[in-house]
Amino acid sequence: MIAPDWFRDDRLPHIYCTGCGNGTVINCTLAAVEEMGWKRDETVFVSGIGCSSRAPGYILTDSLHTTHGRALAFATGVKMARPDLHVVVFTGDGDLAAIGGNHFIHACRRNVDMTVICMNNHIYGMTGGQGSPTTPAGAISTTTPYGMSEPAFDLAELAVAAGANYVARWTSYHVKELTKAVAAGLQTPGLAFIEARTQCPTNYGRHNKLRRVSDMIEHLRSHAILVQKHDRLVAEGKPIPEGAFTVGELVRRNRPAMGVQR
Amino acid sequence: MKLVIDESRCKGCNLCVLVCPYGIFQEGTELNSRGIVTPVLDRPERCTNCRLQALYGRMLCGVCHMICPDQAINWVEEKPFEPHKVEVEF
Ligand SMILES: Cc1ncc(C[n+]2csc(CCOP(=O)(O)OP(=O)(O)O)c2C)c(N)n1
Ligand code: SF4
Ligand code: SF4
Ligand code: SF4
Ligand SMILES: [Mg+2]
Repeated sequence: MIAPDWFRDDRLPHIYCTGCGNGTVINCTLAAVEEMGWKRDETVFVSGIGCSSRAPGYILTDSLHTTHGRALAFATGVKMARPDLHVVVFTGDGDLAAIGGNHFIHACRRNVDMTVICMNNHIYGMTGGQGSPTTPAGAISTTTPYGMSEPAFDLAELAVAAGANYVARWTSYHVKELTKAVAAGLQTPGLAFIEARTQCPTNYGRHNKLRRVSDMIEHLRSHAILVQKHDRLVAEGKPIPEGAFTVGELVRRNRPAMGVQR
Repeated sequence: MKLVIDESRCKGCNLCVLVCPYGIFQEGTELNSRGIVTPVLDRPERCTNCRLQALYGRMLCGVCHMICPDQAINWVEEKPFEPHKVEVEF
């Protein structure tokens, strides 16, 4: 269950658009935190800039709403200065993988002990729908009016390659699985990266024939395939369905981590 | 327990309509005082969580509560004398 007393009730309802998936990701994160039994004054939420990055502002703990792309740099600082605190980062695809791309790979490489939750809506939501490094090929955005011609980053695979100790991907439709993945991430020493694919009906859906929230959710649901199934299809030499992305736990390992309190 | 939608928070996205296995949420038709069409509840006493939360001492199902992006779905204690119809589905 979502920890109800972790919300800043006076700030709700939040500014997110009708049907925006970010609110669901906050729910799942707070449910996982509740499961861990963490205390509010031992937990810090850190974020950069973007719709997704506004999340800590609705949570009743100390938080840092930092500059665009730099959430991980600030979070690393918090963890190094106070390894006794639980550090959770909320970020967006633009914040994490465009302007913050270098911080992302190096935080994973250093394996800093924190949990990073990326609300990947494949777009710069806050600034009006410009293409991001995760905008799928062919998708329309305000900066790609003829369709995105560049290939997209797979954020979860990037975190695996860069060295994070725990990596999982789910969507804002898979609320139970996402909650479990965040909880697993919170428990893991070292950097845990959870990519939550979310819907941005306003700035992504509207331009890509997914105007209704239900269409966006259906798109996420029907294009998600379990990692195990994906691997089986590959082993059998069968084709991967068009536009499909893997969901589930991508890695759980024990590389040396930084900032773990002994 | 009684299922309620917080009218001061709901933005009418109808995600709850999409996920409830009992079809308890139905798309609304009327604007509320905030100018939002919130879903209407169809016999909410059928919800597993309404019926069994107190007995099991934990949240059951709860997917509407989890997916609601606006934290608008909750359960409140009922007054002991509040009349309600219970339909048990097997
Ligand atoms: C240094 C700097 N460059 C650019 C911006 C403008 N800006 C604000 S939010 C944003 C993109 C956010 O995209 P994302 O991280 O995906 O968040 P979303 O809104 O989609 O959740 C940009 C480019 C800024 N605030 N600061
Ligand atoms: S612009 Fe997109 S990401 Fe931002 S609040 Fe609206 S729906 Fe959510
Ligand atoms: S999911 Fe929440 S915000 Fe959306 S219609 Fe249902 S109660 Fe309202
Ligand atoms: S808890 Fe489950 S059964 Fe009850 S209203 Fe929500 S989705 Fe429906
Ligand atoms: Mg984004």
